Amino acid sequence: MNRRTFLKRGLAGGAVLLLGGGALALFPTKEQGAPTHALAVLEPRSFQVLVAVARRVVPATADGVKVAEGVDALLRRAPVEAQRDFNRLLGLFENALPGLLFDGRVLPFTRLSPESQDAVLAHWRDSRLTIRRTGYHALRRICLAVAYADEATWPAVGYAPPPASAYTPMAYDDSKVGVPS
Amino acid sequence: MTKLAVVRENPHVIDGSKSGDLDLKCDVCVVGTGAGGAMTASVLAAAGFDVVMIEEGGYWSAADFTMREKDTTPRLYQEGGTRTTKDLAMTILQGKAVGGGTVVNWTTCFRTPEDVVQTWHDKHDVKGFAYPDLVPHYEDIEKRLVIAKVDESTLNQNNRKLFDGCKKMGWSAETLRRNVYACMQTGFCGLGCPVNAKRSMLVTLVPDAIDAGARLVFRARADKLETVGNLVTKLHGTLLDAEGIAPTGKKITVTAKRFVSSGGAINSPALLLRSGISDDGRVGARTFLHPVIGGAGIYDEDITPYRGAPQSAASHHFAHRDGEVGFFLEAVPWYPSLTAGAAPTFGAEHLAFMKQVDKTATHIAIAIDGFHDDVPGGRVTLRESGAPLVDYPIPPRLWDTFRFAQKRLAEMQFASGAKEVVTLHDPPQRMKSPGDIDRVVDAAMFDVGRVPVFTAHQMGGCAMGDDASRSVVRSEDLRHHRIENLFVIDGSVFPTSLGVNPQESIYGLSRLMATRLAARK
Repeated sequence: MNRRTFLKRGLAGGAVLLLGGGALALFPTKEQGAPTHALAVLEPRSFQVLVAVARRVVPATADGVKVAEGVDALLRRAPVEAQRDFNRLLGLFENALPGLLFDGRVLPFTRLSPESQDAVLAHWRDSRLTIRRTGYHALRRICLAVAYADEATWPAVGYAPPPASAYTPMAYDDSKVGVPS
Repeated sequence: MTKLAVVRENPHVIDGSKSGDLDLKCDVCVVGTGAGGAMTASVLAAAGFDVVMIEEGGYWSAADFTMREKDTTPRLYQEGGTRTTKDLAMTILQGKAVGGGTVVNWTTCFRTPEDVVQTWHDKHDVKGFAYPDLVPHYEDIEKRLVIAKVDESTLNQNNRKLFDGCKKMGWSAETLRRNVYACMQTGFCGLGCPVNAKRSMLVTLVPDAIDAGARLVFRARADKLETVGNLVTKLHGTLLDAEGIAPTGKKITVTAKRFVSSGGAINSPALLLRSGISDDGRVGARTFLHPVIGGAGIYDEDITPYRGAPQSAASHHFAHRDGEVGFFLEAVPWYPSLTAGAAPTFGAEHLAFMKQVDKTATHIAIAIDGFHDDVPGGRVTLRESGAPLVDYPIPPRLWDTFRFAQKRLAEMQFASGAKEVVTLHDPPQRMKSPGDIDRVVDAAMFDVGRVPVFTAHQMGGCAMGDDASRSVVRSEDLRHHRIENLFVIDGSVFPTSLGVNPQESIYGLSRLMATRLAARK
């Protein structure tokens, strides 16, 4: 893609986004799995997209639903604006119309084959548009951070920390430390 | 001396999540209980002032520090560890708890370099104190927090590689001073010390302050300072649930003679901005983050980078670069969640990177921002909701610094025996020998979203200085230039970054200023 084509596509893409993203999707989002409890931050469609993303990003765990639920719980601690942006990002990631413009795909992310999903992730990663690169990282990082906080992923990478019960906290008592109080 | 368990049961300690509306009166209201706030509160309480400390975070203790990120990171870091800069280029690791960032820092202690204090004097109108004024306070703190240089024999493999690699390159390197007593080398300083060996504010000066009669309200978010003319009259805040996520619907109001903002860089400027104190844009300006890039060395021998003190060696060999941005080199621990987010790419390639954990040593280059005109720091602004948002566009000169530093990290890792060096670019850039370094790193893209950038040191945003047109607080006592009973005592007053890990700099300056404040009844 030369610079001119890129710019034209970028402008057209911007126009499409302005026209309203999700409502213009050619195909509906494909159901990936139901959350096991009520979601706090993620919209139902965002959740489904995130499950699909997690399954490609985090092979150490097959449980994309669990990862997406963990992301939802973690995002409760983020400012409301960041929560809103994350939902928007997932909508954009799923959307087939910008996908068609930038990645040459006609299906929403959740309806692609695993190989095509990996290609979309790589397209976002390698994009000349900063917002696509940082969007990719926002999705990637939070899925990985949540997945690897779960000890179910640890055996696959050989991480073996001491058990939580391995240490007994020292009584906090400065007289034992031998410093002035 | 009171034991922590006893302190938590002290009637002066109020759990905001369980409290009704609070309307408190005191001499001094201190917002924040980290390095600045705990120090200030303990000095003032010992001097007989009636002090109220307000803390948004939870009052956790060693029993809660399970060495599991799932239990600790969301609770102990701002925004659950998800805080970033506005353009998402930089991940912001910043503590949030009773004890503030000192609960989760990696225990590295440096006095503020003398030349940095001199730069503040010469270029930023900081005439209210000089380096010798800080020295007795550093000495006191070093005794109280048992700050001592570690023995070279205690370096874990991660730090050993850094130390040896620098020496082999002919670069200066040193072992670090740490605020620990009877450290058991668990390696989990960043998730809260599980054994109370770390002499954080949580187990030292917060209990001191409470022992001396100070009150503490935790799970209380400071929303706004109410001002009338040139005085703050009240602090208005919101009480939060046990996890600090949602308001309980109850409020806190504190009426005091003096107010001290010690929320740290980012949160102190945000409190002032929410209170309508912007000082023509000076509040929030010149926020410094010591931006960090990393590199992974893969070795034949075991590194096991989650064992042992996370930081015990450093090199300041490149801290002073003529006409360029300086940086220093340190090691970072391997915690699975933290590392997984920082490690490059996704899917099978990411998993392969993670599987090399036992053989991987990760080191970082920490850029010293705020000294070079081309690297003037960022700005704290407010989101619509009132939450802070840090805008820190990474300037071209800083990207150039990162490229230079990436090469030095690789040289050091090869010199210490790495068989492969991998950058954290996405996709990762791999080097098999020192001969690859220039070619690979020169071809790598250093840009937003191409390589991850981190910050664990937040400074600035309420600069001190004696020229009111260029600063927010006076340097003699850290009092706001206009508002007569508002003080900012924390890392946000630094007019530049420090070039060293900041905790002891905050302790020292805070102790000096709290002592001066205590002298004024």
